[in-house]
Amino acid sequence: MKPAARTVISGWSAISPFGLVGADFAAGLRDGQRHGEGPRHVPDFEVREVLGRKGTRSLDRQTALAVATAGQLLAGQDGGRIDGVGPESGLVLGTVTASALSMMDFARDTFTQDKPYHVDPARFPNTVLNCAAARCAIWHELRGPNTTVSAGRASGLAALNYARRLRRSGRADVILCGAVEELSQARSWLESGAEPLGEGCAMVLVEPLGRPSAHGRAELAEVLALEFGLHSEPSGVRSALGACLRRAFATADETPDRVWAVASSGGPDPFGKGEDAAIADVIGDRAPVRLRSSELVGDTNGASAAFALVAVVAKAAETPQARGHTAVVTSVDRDGVVGCALLRLGSHTAADVT
Amino acid sequence: MLTAVADDSEQLPASAGRRVVVTGLGVISSVGVGVAEFLSGLRAGRSGAKPITGFPTDGYDHAIACEVVDFDPARWMAHLDPAELGRASQFSVAAAGMALEDAGLTAPDLLGRHGLISIGTTNGETRELDRLVEQEVTGGPERMDPAIARRVNAGRLSAAVARELGLTDVEAVTIPTACAAGNYAIGNAFDAIRAGEAAFAVCGGADALCRKTIAGFYRLGAMAPDRCQPFDKNRQGMLAGEGAGVMLLEDLASARARGARIYAEIIGFALNCDADHPVAPNQDSVARCMELALHNAGVKPDQVDFISAHGTATRANDVVEARAIRQVFGPAPPRTVSVKSMLGHALGAASALAAIGCALAITEGFIPPTINHVETDPECEIDCVPNTAIEASPRIVQNNALAFGGNNAVLILSKFEEHA
Repeated sequence: MKPAARTVISGWSAISPFGLVGADFAAGLRDGQRHGEGPRHVPDFEVREVLGRKGTRSLDRQTALAVATAGQLLAGQDGGRIDGVGPESGLVLGTVTASALSMMDFARDTFTQDKPYHVDPARFPNTVLNCAAARCAIWHELRGPNTTVSAGRASGLAALNYARRLRRSGRADVILCGAVEELSQARSWLESGAEPLGEGCAMVLVEPLGRPSAHGRAELAEVLALEFGLHSEPSGVRSALGACLRRAFATADETPDRVWAVASSGGPDPFGKGEDAAIADVIGDRAPVRLRSSELVGDTNGASAAFALVAVVAKAAETPQARGHTAVVTSVDRDGVVGCALLRLGSHTAADVT
Repeated sequence: MLTAVADDSEQLPASAGRRVVVTGLGVISSVGVGVAEFLSGLRAGRSGAKPITGFPTDGYDHAIACEVVDFDPARWMAHLDPAELGRASQFSVAAAGMALEDAGLTAPDLLGRHGLISIGTTNGETRELDRLVEQEVTGGPERMDPAIARRVNAGRLSAAVARELGLTDVEAVTIPTACAAGNYAIGNAFDAIRAGEAAFAVCGGADALCRKTIAGFYRLGAMAPDRCQPFDKNRQGMLAGEGAGVMLLEDLASARARGARIYAEIIGFALNCDADHPVAPNQDSVARCMELALHNAGVKPDQVDFISAHGTATRANDVVEARAIRQVFGPAPPRTVSVKSMLGHALGAASALAAIGCALAITEGFIPPTINHVETDPECEIDCVPNTAIEASPRIVQNNALAFGGNNAVLILSKFEEHA
């Protein structure tokens, strides 16, 4: 395959319960310990303090998390923008829905105000599912493809697949890609799981193989394969995800022997157990590193796969022996979607690019 | 201006990949359920506008919308229980089943082939959230039904299609990019098939009318009292709509191999973002999206036989869109129609329904009208095919979609010809 048709990850950022910057997430990853019980908020994330007072009056938490995470991904060391990510760049963001809080607050006004239309028009866009992605584009001047994707817990992997397809189709060269989930009372009404709820946003920068070095960036990982399938009940997760994993290895002409890390996105429920079983079936216990995004940051639902992805990329970046090995990211959604990504870790030499 | 999409990637012109053809259509609309009803509605210029019945509208001075009535989800579900799905998922599942049937396929025919389910939406299952909020307002949060809460994931609009059809070797993704979502979802399918990533795709859009849509657009002053009049001098805004439009796409070789009827070929697509204003469209950016789509299709503006406009009939949209069209097509642009005059704005389903209208126009040889038209707005200056469909033989058709957030997506369809 020609270099331009191959997709690499050349950067990542995360705002997580570990803290407001990627370094906090990396430190939490090293530490490996979850702190405290109960819901896992991003500490000190006040929209106007993080993003300033200008243009933030109507920004909801979900949108602000995405805008700030994209900002960190784009931030260069000199305080300006990183090189080679111009206004024609794209953005793909995964989400289960828009902010549950924004949507429910808006709907509540239609029941409780004097007139059903006595709603706040400035907050109307917050109730539409593309709000966070579109506001990222406005904030950061990204005029390329701007797409919101939704596949439940697998939204982060669906976003990566969509971004790779955009790249292969020549629709964008460089794409910011990730997923977001906020924590609110409204969300806790909608979801209850075995793990405490968590929140945050995780993003990666994707571009063609060979391009990052021209702009002074390392190639952290190459996306070798992304595979998806469907289960129809919890007992079907194991075979559906197992089939995806086998297809991923076959597509990439790789074997499970070279897997250095596996990162899953599920929790200790029947779906997460199916996820674990599929990983055991196909990869066994070969991988020295095993990460679970829900153990790290809580149950971040729509962002859980994006956090799993960023976790392996961040972990590999500070582990020299990971270079040249592969990593697997998996996700299972209770509504049917299963998916996995197979990555090759570390920078490529010129000899690899043929 | 046609600057390259990408500075150093090798852009794949549409002609370089596999050819992608439309072989099945499924429609749930306010002017009828099923392709035949929809076609006769478009030809006759039928309006789907009527008083809202899906939820109480006390307090509004006017509450007309293009609602889907007489829809029986059970008719289209052999495996799923309709009661477990929100209304938008019911629409997408039913329209997908219809598209498959229309293509002469059954679900077992698709087993063993890797496919894509790609469904766009604006609101996902927001209507289900309305019900939860009503329960909370009347009885407190503990009264919220967890079974309804389970339906809120927008990903269900596509996952439910796969589950009903019993397909396991598919990528099921929902594209909730607001009111351009239908085109986004079809464009995603186009790219996947063209590149050989999927052998077939079930793609389109679905949305269910909800309280928020009516309240929000009414509050913005964007809602017309009784009828939708795109490009009219005295237009008063949009009418909300609902429904689903789903296409079965496959690569030409597989369509040929099974002797499928081909409605049309998808030959180009583009998407971009204004990155400008949360709700107001940007003329230069909309024009650029059209240019990118024409470039992707490898056609020149003068080859386009008609444009299916986004055409919401709001003051802002119609002038900006018409000017963007003139910016790309010059002083004598092709006929530019808005099927929203008949269907209302079915949000995430809108551009999918319009794309189906384009495919039918190509197959059946007509251009659908823009109804409720009295006097063209001089600021719009386009021939909107007022009130009555015309007989024609459109070969290349452009389908526009714009969305909140400045998300634009343009699809180019063509009559299928063996040697394109």
